[in-house]
Amino acid sequence: MTDGDVRVHLMERFLAEGRPPSVAESAAALDASEEDVAAAYRRLQEQRVIVLAPGTLDVWMAAPLSAVPTPFPVETERGTYYGNCIWDALGIPAMLGCDATIAASCADCGDPLPIRVRNGELRDGDGVAHFAVPAARWWDNIGHT
Amino acid sequence: MLAFRSEEHVDWWLAARRLRRGSAFTLEQAWSLANGWYSDRLDPAWRRKTPEEAEAVFAAAGLTGDFWRLRPSD
Repeated sequence: MTDGDVRVHLMERFLAEGRPPSVAESAAALDASEEDVAAAYRRLQEQRVIVLAPGTLDVWMAAPLSAVPTPFPVETERGTYYGNCIWDALGIPAMLGCDATIAASCADCGDPLPIRVRNGELRDGDGVAHFAVPAARWWDNIGHT
Repeated sequence: MLAFRSEEHVDWWLAARRLRRGSAFTLEQAWSLANGWYSDRLDPAWRRKTPEEAEAVFAAAGLTGDFWRLRPSD
């Protein structure tokens, strides 16, 4: 079992069930020990491939997917997911190669800002994206960019 | 990264929080960024992008300059 095997399993299971697998679930599916899978989860976090909830082995982010609800719900034919930010919300249809409807809202006034992706093209793309933190500092605090 | 109705709303949001402007760009550019970044994410052979590769994805979306630089400047 490689870290890549764990990553692919984690992503596929996340997409299938709408939530990331626990260490025990991944270990059972990959026919590996929980100790080995836990070590793989930690290495994937160190490599900035996933983010674990602080002090736990629970996956918080496996970009572009968020394990907790966010203001960026994304409806697709495979299910409804949450992006970590608007980039990640758009990343979900980009990753899946499918249509999507993102029920975003303006961060300033809260008005709905629905965004549709159809046949690989963005519809309703009148809004503006804003990144607060320069690229080189994203991982200082990945929960705030 | 957040979404706003317009540039004006970005300015109002920043002013209310006394934050400095970062980088604002169109949702079309964000879509280009998302495609360049995530379209290969389910490939078993996926690996993290090098700083050079990441900067190339940014540049393909028209995002350049110091804000988007990952490598030390020459």
